[in-house]
Amino acid sequence: MATVQVKRRELSFGERIYLPEVLRGLKVTTRQLFKNMFTKKDIATVQYPEVRKEYPDRFRGRHRLMKREDGSVRCVACMLCSTACPAKCIHIVAGDKGDQSVEKYPVSFEIDLLVCIYCGFCEEACPCDAIRMDSGRHPLPSFTRDRQRIRKIQLLEDGGPSIAVQGGKGT
Amino acid sequence: MPTLKIDGREVTVDPGTTILQAAEVLGIEVPTFCYHPGLSIAANCRMCLVDSNKSPKPVPACHAQVMDGMEVQTASERIKRTRKAVLEFILLNHPVDCPICDQAGECVLQDHYFKFSAQPSRLFHRKQHKSKAKVLGPDIILDAERCILCTRCVRFCDEVAKESQLDVVNRGEHSEISTFPGKQLDNPYAGNTVDICPVGALTSRDFRFKTRVWMLQTERGVCPECSRNCAIRVDTFENVVRRYKPAHNPKVNQYWMCDEGRGSYKNYLEGRMEGPTLVEHGRRLATSTQRAMDEVSRALSGGARNVAVVLTPWLTNEDAFVVGKLLAGPLAGASIYLGGRGPGTEDAVLRQADKNPNRRGVETILGALGLSAKPVSQFTARAVETLVVLGDQHTVGDTTMSELAAVPQRVVIGAFKNAWWDMATVFLPGRVHWEKDGTTTNFQGVVQRARRAVTAAPTAKSEGWYAMKIAQALGAALDFATPKDIFGALTREVGAFAGLTWEGLGDHGQRLGDGLVPGGVGNGDTQGMVAR
Repeated sequence: MATVQVKRRELSFGERIYLPEVLRGLKVTTRQLFKNMFTKKDIATVQYPEVRKEYPDRFRGRHRLMKREDGSVRCVACMLCSTACPAKCIHIVAGDKGDQSVEKYPVSFEIDLLVCIYCGFCEEACPCDAIRMDSGRHPLPSFTRDRQRIRKIQLLEDGGPSIAVQGGKGT
Repeated sequence: MPTLKIDGREVTVDPGTTILQAAEVLGIEVPTFCYHPGLSIAANCRMCLVDSNKSPKPVPACHAQVMDGMEVQTASERIKRTRKAVLEFILLNHPVDCPICDQAGECVLQDHYFKFSAQPSRLFHRKQHKSKAKVLGPDIILDAERCILCTRCVRFCDEVAKESQLDVVNRGEHSEISTFPGKQLDNPYAGNTVDICPVGALTSRDFRFKTRVWMLQTERGVCPECSRNCAIRVDTFENVVRRYKPAHNPKVNQYWMCDEGRGSYKNYLEGRMEGPTLVEHGRRLATSTQRAMDEVSRALSGGARNVAVVLTPWLTNEDAFVVGKLLAGPLAGASIYLGGRGPGTEDAVLRQADKNPNRRGVETILGALGLSAKPVSQFTARAVETLVVLGDQHTVGDTTMSELAAVPQRVVIGAFKNAWWDMATVFLPGRVHWEKDGTTTNFQGVVQRARRAVTAAPTAKSEGWYAMKIAQALGAALDFATPKDIFGALTREVGAFAGLTWEGLGDHGQRLGDGLVPGGVGNGDTQGMVAR
């Protein structure tokens, strides 16, 4: 492999003795301190957990499973998400619902959040708008690894109704 | 001998050959749905239409016979348009529910659509609805909406299973596959209709919704449930067998297998015993392989006179050879019995009464090594100090069982928690058939190779491995590294296997004795078609 020689800038005398540069840095923080104390404008920090920042719309957070109008899970256990998943963290067991219009449903749906890399391939692969990552919640810490393996019931807690037509036609 | 040109390439074939078969000789693919090499020709799907200079309209390649001077076009613009139109008709009322269809991933309609059509539906009416999830038989479920009415399943029941149970009812777009009134699709070969169904109309209730097919790993195996030894595909997911599918072997099973064999994989999934155990001071304890083997070697080192060995026709040829070498060498003089499962159902299609895979192979190899085995029902415990039972697939009567249990030292190489495990004083974990790489000989003498589909627990070893280690402990020079090495030695020492080679077995196996005829060995596969 070819190497690139980077030409470094020569430091001036003032920079080499460090002290003027340190003072220059302190000037910035001190200015911000007084600005925060008296004007309370442009404060970068928030009082977490009382105050929380809104994530941007396209933030990929903890997964959620969407529901049909009757409240049942939209997922038809086609396993396209677990096929698309590069981390292999989605584990679905499919079952027969006995309903001729739906037939297949997930008996269990588990996502191992410790394994998940939050790439969003699962929601892209989903033909039913069943799995989404727009909950706006980041994964929370836990004392056991098992708690990070979230089940269908937890995934449905955040799930609202989806207006997409089953089968993926239009909206 | 008519000579014709297909896509500009010349080929000479026997009279009566169809255009499709002639194209196959040249390696030219003609897409089909209803054509199956193992069934009669229906020519109803129209997918194989090709242009020929002998007719003004496209002709079905699967049905039209070749003529001298024929010039066939399989990929002309007109044919491309025709295929697109045929697919549009077939897909007109198709639900396109691929995400929940078990066939998705191995669906001929899916493949052909992507290859030859790939156009969106132009239908603006409601689709015609038909029966969904209709139970046709104990293992078969029908989704009539997905059906393309190729009638492969109807023809299979009539021609191969010889029990007419299916037909097409109603007309036009209301047509659907149905059983005759009061009948079920329950013939002993019904599962094959699922395999030959090119779409997801007929699916297996056993496999329904279990695993998506693209997640399966597949390995070629041999069905061990009878002495026919049908060639199969063993499909696994996460190192667990999920289903058997028949594989094509013109010498053994053509394209088919029976439902008994198809469902048999479930018998080997539960109750595995994967660790060696040893009875010491009246208590049964888990132990190491080394310790158990030391115990066995100690018991056997006293001479072979007081030793009885129960062999099983479930051994592979390689295992049988190594065990035979042990019994002919260091353990010469031990009394030998042959166990195995008792007889079962038999019919004229595939199933054999002998429900053991390799009786012929084991008997041939023992005979060649100068050994003979008595049936296990003749076993007497008199003067026997040590009993070695190979395998745990034996059917024996109560009296024989109590005779066997009367021997003081009982070594069992088994795989499951059953009466044989209960009986063992030393238990050595063995492997089941899909964990072994080896060959079996069917009742016709066809030697086929079964490949390992599942990785066994590290403590589970084959009977041949144990026999080799025992022979080494008793001072014999018996050392093989792979089943291929054993097979090599086997072909040199056992006359019936002479001339066969590990590589030469291929997918279709070789017949015993073929090696003795010059030019007799070949895997006999001139038909390049795979079962789908």
